[in-house]
Amino acid sequence: MSHDAFHGRLEDDRMVTGSGTYTLDWDFPDTAHAWFVRADRAHAEIVSIDASAALAHPGVIAVLTGADLEAAGFKSLPVITMPLKPDAMKPLMPFRPCLATGKVRLAGEAVACVIAETQRIAMDASELVVVEYNELQPVVDSLDALKPGAPQLHDDVPGNLYWDYEDGDRAGTDALFARAAKIVKHDLYNHRVVGHPMEPRCCTGVYDAAKDQYFLYSPTQGPRMQASMVAKVLDVPTDKVDVVAKDTGGGFGIRSAPYPEYCVTLLASKKLGRPVRWNGTRSEVFLTDNQARDFICHGELALDDKGKFLAMRFFIVANNGAYLAPTGLLAQTRSVTSCITGVYDVPVSHARIQLVATNTAQVSAYRGAGRPIMSMLLECLVERAAIDLNMDVVEIRRKNLIRNDQYPYKLVNGTTYDCGDFEGVLDDALKAADWNGFDKRRAESARRGKLRGRALSTYIESTAAGGIPDDAQLLFEADGTISLKSSSHSHGQGHETSFAQVVAGVLGVPMNIVKLRTGEAGMRVGGGGTGGSRSMVSFGSSYLLGAREVVKKGREFAAKELEASPDDIEFDHGEYSIKGTDRRISLMDLAKKYKGSAGEPHPLNSVGSGKWGMTFPNGAHIAEVEIDAETGVTEIVSYIAVDDIGNVITHALVEGQMQGGLTQGAGQILGEHAIYDRDTGQLLTGSFMDYPMPRAGMVAGLEVLDHPVPTKLNPLGAKGVGEAGCTGALPTLANAIVDALRPVGVTHFDMPATPQRVWQAIQAAKAGNPRALQTYTLEYA
Amino acid sequence: MAVKVSMTVNGKAVSHEVEERTLLVNYIRETLKLTGTHVGCDTAQCGACTVHMNGKAIKSCNIVAMQAEGANITTIEGVAKADGTLHPMQQAFKEHHGLQCGFCTPGMVMSAIDLVKNFPNPTEAQIREQLEGNLCRCTGYHNIVKAIKAASADKNVTVVGG
Ligand code: FES
Ligand code: FES
Repeated sequence: MSHDAFHGRLEDDRMVTGSGTYTLDWDFPDTAHAWFVRADRAHAEIVSIDASAALAHPGVIAVLTGADLEAAGFKSLPVITMPLKPDAMKPLMPFRPCLATGKVRLAGEAVACVIAETQRIAMDASELVVVEYNELQPVVDSLDALKPGAPQLHDDVPGNLYWDYEDGDRAGTDALFARAAKIVKHDLYNHRVVGHPMEPRCCTGVYDAAKDQYFLYSPTQGPRMQASMVAKVLDVPTDKVDVVAKDTGGGFGIRSAPYPEYCVTLLASKKLGRPVRWNGTRSEVFLTDNQARDFICHGELALDDKGKFLAMRFFIVANNGAYLAPTGLLAQTRSVTSCITGVYDVPVSHARIQLVATNTAQVSAYRGAGRPIMSMLLECLVERAAIDLNMDVVEIRRKNLIRNDQYPYKLVNGTTYDCGDFEGVLDDALKAADWNGFDKRRAESARRGKLRGRALSTYIESTAAGGIPDDAQLLFEADGTISLKSSSHSHGQGHETSFAQVVAGVLGVPMNIVKLRTGEAGMRVGGGGTGGSRSMVSFGSSYLLGAREVVKKGREFAAKELEASPDDIEFDHGEYSIKGTDRRISLMDLAKKYKGSAGEPHPLNSVGSGKWGMTFPNGAHIAEVEIDAETGVTEIVSYIAVDDIGNVITHALVEGQMQGGLTQGAGQILGEHAIYDRDTGQLLTGSFMDYPMPRAGMVAGLEVLDHPVPTKLNPLGAKGVGEAGCTGALPTLANAIVDALRPVGVTHFDMPATPQRVWQAIQAAKAGNPRALQTYTLEYA
Repeated sequence: MAVKVSMTVNGKAVSHEVEERTLLVNYIRETLKLTGTHVGCDTAQCGACTVHMNGKAIKSCNIVAMQAEGANITTIEGVAKADGTLHPMQQAFKEHHGLQCGFCTPGMVMSAIDLVKNFPNPTEAQIREQLEGNLCRCTGYHNIVKAIKAASADKNVTVVGG
């Protein structure tokens, strides 16, 4: 069904006409408005908070501080944990308050909440809240924070080290390194970025006193997942919280968990007996959304004298920010090392990752969540090896790829790849990119005064990592529609269309009677949210099973209706019939007739459920870039992505995900950069004026091709597509840029490739410094 | 200080008392309850708030409502035909999968209609350049560019409402 003509998604009509319902489009009578007073410094003790002038301001209803939350029994914002090896260090998880108490740890941290009759009154009055601070020295760089004598953020995180995580086999790796013919080393800085869904963070908190129930209207990737975390903060049972959302304006991992403000508006609503709305701004997104990346990476590769990889080892320092974000442990460790040796046949390896506290925004999962860190490190290391050993970049890869006869292929840390065709994918990409014609194109660029570079990456990532079964409910409604309910909320993926397509395909009904309703009040369904590229793999598979269950249940009723034995009934294109006869009845007619008794659930209602294993999308990407040495401007001139994402359900949506992910990766490589001032801890790139988002002109000449190798790990054979583009784009573009700069003497360049940095690197290389734009170096330890 | 503003929005005369500092986008969203126009930033960079004022695309977060006194404003809600038929630009965004989360879409559609007014048969490069003022985080723009190119061939693409 993949290449069927595409005529748009079911959700599109409302979205193109402005009738979508995003969080701030919900309108409640008698709403009060919240505005947050935020720390204007990065590290300080709070001496006192005086809200009296704000409270006296006409129209102000209340001012809440950390003390009010403590009095209400608020708990820490939660962190998702994972099973540990018995001898492993336990992560240190300091208390993360919704409003700062005692101390502020990042510029922008919420200190108080002013609630007023209008947003503008709340904004005005927030200026009248006087916070007296005792200023402390901030630390924003993770290596600085690890130094003895560095400012300490949390009393219970000595040395600012949240966690020292290890994966793989250290001793075995060291042994192989000891007898390697050649060891190649590479350092890189995977710099910090801000995720920036286009809908800023915002919410309305509504407490219903009659039901003692909290309703949070907020952007979300998974309403039940978010509700469970909010309930932990409020210290109430999960069922006491409903997260309600219809349309969510982007997520990319950073809308999966709740934010402090959400919990504060719920308490405020309870105290005031009115809905409390918070209209967050882009500036607040910059300062206090979960941010991403910020990994200092060191990789080493041991090879034999024929260029065959023997072992790899990595030492990585991750800047996790002032607090642990909910996904701040998982995405920064296990997600980084899950595909620890990539697409390469390397039996032994080891990785160590230190998670560090600094006075910066908390870091979380963001498009790729850890996997782009490893893909970038691995592919830059392999590129470095090819250069150091004077080997061809294709041949070094080809020689070391896992072969098709090696599946299932088990990595050192237990991750097991079930299937793939890495060499086939590579060959497709080489062909599509006219790999061998590059010299001609490079010469042509040179005639126009441009430096042309190109690079190839063979990446892999893991998806759908999930520890809990994902439920998919199919409910037959009185109006002749079928409702689908699950906790995986679309924030752009088009679930309304793709899940409907899966279900309608099995049931043989028109897609437009299948209605996805994921973020409604009262929905109680098990499973995680949208994240880790798992929705189609996991929820899609559960919907498929649920739909098959409907067909099975319907067979009994059809047998009754057609007066035949269930064994003689067959189902095809939405109709049951007695084999070999023309006696038939459609599923929907049956559903109308056999409704069950009033007040009871419809007898055809079904739930599909399953805990689907990790899948491994992979691909070969080839980019060519042109750099203007005079101005430092880099242009992406072509980008070929050949990806194995398993079976494709809706081609247009898959292509859209790839295009979006690739462009997000390109954004990071070409410009996006969250920079904190080392002395003051202030975010220097705090608006779209200083933070270059990818715009329409950034990526042209993009071609996305499929090379599907269906997995048997789920009934759809799908591998997940949400993040693959980003995972592939980072190393591909980074290596292409260095390739372009090498002829002018640059041997190392840390991203982003802004015109200024590229120009600087070229000038420095001319003056004899080929590594001027290298930010850090580490030693394996 | 409250002031009275009067204008025509999607063909209807409207008039309200608002605070002087009320931005046009807030007037549209909060007073008129036309929530299709979105706010994505606070520095006039993202274009999510784009509407037409006297037939030209403007960022409605970047002027106060008073500046639109007497003006003729069209928002995304006023672009399709009264019978619900989508405008060719809306139809093209849908058919070319030019939207994912949809948050940028109203502003994109409004800018795109203005774009084809100014560049009747735009090249891909022109479209990419002219979209500079609109941010989309989801699509990578590729399908938006395709949609605009396709819609530009429709002879009614510059006509809104009706
Ligand atoms: S909200 Fe107007 S440009 Fe961003
Ligand atoms: S579709 Fe999500 S921002 Fe454009």
